[in-house]
Amino acid sequence: MAELLEIKNLEVSFDTPQGELQAVRNVSFKLRAGEVLALVGESGCGKSVLCKAIMKLLPRAARIRSGHICVDGTDIAGWKEKEMQKLRGRLFSMVFQDPMTTLNPTMTIGAQIAEAVLVHQPRMKKEAVRSRVLELMELVGIDRAEERMHLYPYNFSGGMRQRSVLAIALAGNPRILFADEPTTALDVTIQAQILDLLRDIQRKLGTATILVSHDLGVVARVADRVAVMYAGKIVEIGTAEEIYNDPRHPYTWGLMRSLPALSRGKDSLYTIPGMPPSLIHPSKGDAFACRNPYALAIDYEEEPPLFQVSDTHYAATWLLDKRAPRIVRHWEEHAQPEYKCVKEQKPQEILLDVRHLTQVFPLTKRTAIRAVDDVSFQIRRGEIFGLVGESGSGKSTVARCIMNIYRPASGEILYRGVNVCDRQEFRREKKLLQTKRQLIFQDSGSSLNQRMKVKDIIAEPLKISHTRPKRGSCLEEAAFQLRYVGLDESYLEKYPSELSGGQRQRVAIARALVMEPELLVADEPIASLDVSIQAQIVNLFSHLQKEHGFTFLFIAHDLAMVEFLCDRVGVMYRGKLVEVGTVKELFAHPQHPYTKELLSAIPAPVPGAARGKLDQMCFA
Amino acid sequence: MKKKNYFLYYGRKLLIFLVSVLVLSMTVFYISRLAPGDPLVSYYGDRVEKMSPQEREWAEEKLGLNDALHVQYVHWLNNALHGDFGISYKYKRDVMEVIGSRLGNTLILGGIGFVLVFVLALLLGILCAWYENRLADRIICKVGTVTSCIPEFWFSLMLILIFSIELKWLPSSGSYTIGKEGDVWDRVLHLILPMTIVVISHLWYYAYMIRNKILEEVRADYVLLAKSKGLGKRRIVFGHCLRNILPSYLSIMAISVPHVLGGTYIVETVFSYPGIGTLSYESARYKDYNLLMVLCILSGILVIFCNMVAQTINEQIDPRIKGEEALETSEVVKI
Repeated sequence: MAELLEIKNLEVSFDTPQGELQAVRNVSFKLRAGEVLALVGESGCGKSVLCKAIMKLLPRAARIRSGHICVDGTDIAGWKEKEMQKLRGRLFSMVFQDPMTTLNPTMTIGAQIAEAVLVHQPRMKKEAVRSRVLELMELVGIDRAEERMHLYPYNFSGGMRQRSVLAIALAGNPRILFADEPTTALDVTIQAQILDLLRDIQRKLGTATILVSHDLGVVARVADRVAVMYAGKIVEIGTAEEIYNDPRHPYTWGLMRSLPALSRGKDSLYTIPGMPPSLIHPSKGDAFACRNPYALAIDYEEEPPLFQVSDTHYAATWLLDKRAPRIVRHWEEHAQPEYKCVKEQKPQEILLDVRHLTQVFPLTKRTAIRAVDDVSFQIRRGEIFGLVGESGSGKSTVARCIMNIYRPASGEILYRGVNVCDRQEFRREKKLLQTKRQLIFQDSGSSLNQRMKVKDIIAEPLKISHTRPKRGSCLEEAAFQLRYVGLDESYLEKYPSELSGGQRQRVAIARALVMEPELLVADEPIASLDVSIQAQIVNLFSHLQKEHGFTFLFIAHDLAMVEFLCDRVGVMYRGKLVEVGTVKELFAHPQHPYTKELLSAIPAPVPGAARGKLDQMCFA
Repeated sequence: MKKKNYFLYYGRKLLIFLVSVLVLSMTVFYISRLAPGDPLVSYYGDRVEKMSPQEREWAEEKLGLNDALHVQYVHWLNNALHGDFGISYKYKRDVMEVIGSRLGNTLILGGIGFVLVFVLALLLGILCAWYENRLADRIICKVGTVTSCIPEFWFSLMLILIFSIELKWLPSSGSYTIGKEGDVWDRVLHLILPMTIVVISHLWYYAYMIRNKILEEVRADYVLLAKSKGLGKRRIVFGHCLRNILPSYLSIMAISVPHVLGGTYIVETVFSYPGIGTLSYESARYKDYNLLMVLCILSGILVIFCNMVAQTINEQIDPRIKGEEALETSEVVKI
């Protein structure tokens, strides 16, 4: 196959107030016509920047420092904006992460697709454009295109919007399609559909695709070749089979091992220790060395070159040098699908009792949404209860009703026998209800006050409730809690904006723990994090729960982590609680079709895995 | 069904509008009587001082000034509903007649000024956004900041000093040279200085707002998608970004009608331009109650109406606003 795109020694850097940030460092790879290349790495590793650099869509602060971007042998690295415009849409085009914001909210979907068609063929007749738009919408699987082309983006669901974005991207028959985390913002079940769609289209049209993701499990479905990026460099590249079956770089091992599917039946999820390094002043040697359990002395001195493993497989690690010691990886043998997490079941008292909870949100004067419809469940003391469902299924609303953020339309919520929905009872037991129940939100970036330092955030609940801190002063208490969630004291003086997503979530957990809650409600606490960080947070939860013994309501949109963490699971679908059971029962014998769908959507790190493959793999 | 809804919707708006005007008229009626001063002075001039108490009594009786306040109000309201707004004490003519002779001047000054302000602001805003952080943008922003710090009346005086007194290019006051009422060119010359002040004092704020709104849009994700489609900068800025900010710009325009018109009041006074502004100033000063009432209510109607237009525009963009925001009547009284 011919080389369509060749990147040679590309370096991209950002000018920041702190200095030059090297987002992409010396990256070279080739893309052949009609193949799917997956770029995988933690957030901030430069995978998105790399794609945008190739399309020259970088913000002003960024520039391509050196390197070549060759398309069919022509170097376009130095091309001007005017010339790039002609390439965009026709040669390459892009699908972005968040379909909620990438469509212009004030234009109909049809008009936006038509615009993309017309850019490169301005003379096209109106009728021809129309039929092309319909054809594109059909191609990406939007049925009833005729009516739907006149709808606005807000009429569409996330999956439909991503399909529309894909239609726009395909309008100019591009030869390369960049898909920048196209499924991260979507529900798991939709995620699988979009990935399958990408694969179908790629087969039908022969478009070469660069698929960016932080999740090795996700790309396994579609990728022909996989490139693993770390700290702005490609550390390993090879065919999907080679990467999944015979990974050579320790970072790839780490990524693979932190997939929840591989930790089934173990006490804790594997996590890569530490955080990705800052790229502003990269340290000498291999950027991964300090997180690498197999690091050699030379790793701290010199950056490893790309060693060739096979014709198609390269990895940048000194372990492949012929002088290096041989590493035997045991982890694969250890993955036995067996449930060990069965705790001794003493029947504890019921801490939380939700009875026939119904919540209705009025849309207009006449219509309303039944967000939660007759939901009943009980959580016993010391139990971890998982609530799973797609977005819009009402799981967050349940959590908010429990925490008295919403007033339910009907039904009762009993916490230690106190009806929290009753105003009088609530007032009587206010102190108990407000200190012993704590909530953690999904996006700590926005739920933590940007203008408060970490120490003030953690100590605030103490001040509000006039509780004397156990460990002397509020500051000491904050420092203690922070250490407890795995952050040192230097974080006390920082602002949330200086922290990474995982660190912020830890601060949010510390803030909740400072009150020593009996009931902790976490509303999708890991949904916006990278897979490797998700594992860290889940481990932390599991560890904290064992130490504190609090009761935990854990809300998630997929089953992957729930299986690992929870004792019992409830599955919500369209406002109804369709299935409740222990993790073991639910995973072994799912009853409701939606539960089955959720189970099959757990991404499996098996190349080309279609739905259901995972079950065969894990239950074989 | 839908038609009926629209009927209800606008009916409700009209009702709110009428009630607001009624409340406004009451407030103005009451407050204008609280201010110190003697309304008889504006009617009889200096003769008031020589009046005997009986004559005063008789004069007040004639003007209906010694009834209880609410009686006066009901009386006024009754007449007003029949189209009789009374006579101006100062001009001894029907109020509407007095206003009618001045309204045209203000509408020309304010109206053209308004259109100029918003067209120029849009152009400047786009220009700045296009050349973000480059020389042109920085100069325009700096000049804008400096100019908007200069008080209008002082600036007016400086312009008069430079262009009328020193250079003698432009007339310093009035709306036409006496004896040349029909001469259009003469009127235009008289308009230039006041218009400059009206435009300059408002232009920068709106230009800066447009600039920032466009820049905000340009950083939105959908622009990236538009770029990756292969659209050019011009198509993105004019076809996508501008299109998205125009509705909010329109609603801001509607809200700022009273601001710009209120600005003309000061300008009119400084330039002795015979418009509503000067008239309001005089009527308040001389306690010309009938005139004052009508002027206040006219400005009030304008403000309420413009706010309603703005709200309607916003509601058409975002249905959530409907009914949530109470009508803003806080800035109704404006002189």
